[in-house]
Amino acid sequence: MQCVLGIDMGSSCTKGVLMAGTEVLAQVDSLSGGDFKLTADRIREELLARAHVSARSISHTVATGFGSKSVSYADSMVTDISCHAKGVIHLCPTVRTAVDAGDLYSKAFRMDEKGNLQNFLLSGKCAGGSARILKVVAKVLQLNVEELGDLALKSTKKVEFNTGCAVFAESEAVSRIAEGVSKEDLLAGIHRALAAQLNALAVRLGIEKDYALVGGGARNAGLVKALEAVSGFLIVVPSHPHMTAALGAALIAAEAGRP
Amino acid sequence: MKDDVFAKVENQYVNYGTRARELQKQGQKLIGYICSFVPLEIITAAGCVPFRVRGDIREPITQGDTLMETIVCPFIRSCFDLSVKGKYDFLSGMVIPHGCDSMVRSYSTWNYSLNLPYFHFVNTPSVVKESSFEFFEEELKTYKKSLERFTGRTVTDADLAKAIRLHNENRNKARALYDFKKSNPPMISGVELAKVLTVGSSLPVTESNALFDEVIAAVSRRKEPPLKMGPRILVDGPCVDNIELMKIVEDSGASVVADTTCNGTRDALPRTDEGGDPIKALARRYLDKINCPKTYRDNKAGTFEGDAEARFGDIGAYAREFKADGAILYVYKFCDPFGFEVPARKAYYESIKVPLLHIEDLYSAGTIGQLKTRIQAFLEMIG
Repeated sequence: MQCVLGIDMGSSCTKGVLMAGTEVLAQVDSLSGGDFKLTADRIREELLARAHVSARSISHTVATGFGSKSVSYADSMVTDISCHAKGVIHLCPTVRTAVDAGDLYSKAFRMDEKGNLQNFLLSGKCAGGSARILKVVAKVLQLNVEELGDLALKSTKKVEFNTGCAVFAESEAVSRIAEGVSKEDLLAGIHRALAAQLNALAVRLGIEKDYALVGGGARNAGLVKALEAVSGFLIVVPSHPHMTAALGAALIAAEAGRP
Repeated sequence: MKDDVFAKVENQYVNYGTRARELQKQGQKLIGYICSFVPLEIITAAGCVPFRVRGDIREPITQGDTLMETIVCPFIRSCFDLSVKGKYDFLSGMVIPHGCDSMVRSYSTWNYSLNLPYFHFVNTPSVVKESSFEFFEEELKTYKKSLERFTGRTVTDADLAKAIRLHNENRNKARALYDFKKSNPPMISGVELAKVLTVGSSLPVTESNALFDEVIAAVSRRKEPPLKMGPRILVDGPCVDNIELMKIVEDSGASVVADTTCNGTRDALPRTDEGGDPIKALARRYLDKINCPKTYRDNKAGTFEGDAEARFGDIGAYAREFKADGAILYVYKFCDPFGFEVPARKAYYESIKVPLLHIEDLYSAGTIGQLKTRIQAFLEMIG
């Protein structure tokens, strides 16, 4: 069986998708850690083991993401923006605009019905507008980052959170706690602030329906709801939203393998 | 085999200012500048050597920031930081024009911190109108006089005419170098040309002319272009004096075929009219022929399109002439003149149907990874 592999080495998590034709044989994600090369090798081994295929059956591998250069077995490299676009269209063909809340930076992009990238915008060079803010605040509140979204949804009182910068966020969060704000309300405020920054990127590109949230941040229900509130659009979330770039990479690998 | 002249360029690019240091030891007076608005011909006519002060994106700004606020644009802060650290201690003086606010407001800091024998501020008008030329001519005379006082020799009209001729020769040769980029793929890469022009701006104009001749000869002998066929990119922006941006573009399979940068076409191409009053001709060249967002141009047509053409027409002309497939508008954080213009520039690019990637960057090697992502995605999009 001929397979293709897409691997997305993010600054925080690495995602891999093994496909045959249009069928996903296996998908794996894990923390990128301190040794990208080792992580990339481990992801491939695990994908092969899960799908019960050998490395020789992989006809083409596309690497993407911040650490794509560390994937020694990649045949080609494509940026995660193009990969996301391909992956999103494969899962949700009606989407034309998407935002991705990443750990390093966030991005907005527009695509056509074939998943060709039309335009894109990345958040600034610092941590402003990146989903890193959620990790920073999780640490302050001594919570797991996975719990934040659901807690934010339990908010009863609107608290303004003004900082979009993940570095300053910590001090603002501490000030709010000192004012006696509940963690649910505080978290709702932070999610609104992040959603507003993500949406601002999309607005600058011009939003065309359907509008999707992808990447790890899309698994956070609080963020999805906050983005719906600030944008006024219904937000589409693909299944396994954190895997879309890896899936897109696999799809591009499949195209590359075709004669 | 690497052409000898390119090895020489590489060496002088990396060890920027070595020739200037030699000249200083031989008793020559070197005058530094950081902006396209400094009339170099007057420095040459006064028997001095104009030297373009560069920044370095790999050198963290440290000492400079103890004397200058971080609201000043990072390019100027880097140039200043290297200057206070002594990299350019062979300079006898500096000329700073009214380029942008960062230059005007930091002039006294430069002057007092470096304490060079000669310092002069050229008050370049910010509006291009007939009355501006009258003012600028007087300003240039004052500038000439200050150099006369410093060097103790009179600068005659004949000296000026000769300097104008030499600098025009330099621009003709720069033009010939740019013409090598018209073929597809270009016969000279963006990185190569940027290095050649940068080194040229660190030499006396006669030596720069000789260097350009050597490069022209070397490129004419080439059988193969240095880069593969790929998207043709125009780089639009202020002084981009570190080649990293162009290197990322060209390492990603594209080529830089044109630019509007200060250390590129803005410095290198506009010629001064010869034969008439040299001061009048210089005023015309520096005020009218240099298109920089710092100067407001009269909207003579009175329409939005006319305004765009007056301000950005050179971009469209370069894009057509060099057949650009896309453009990168590269602006430093806190660069006011370019920053204010971004929306209007974007609208202009849309009107001429050239896809545009707008990047706001720090003047730091720390952002190279993120630049790569943006540029590669842009090339994937237009490719």
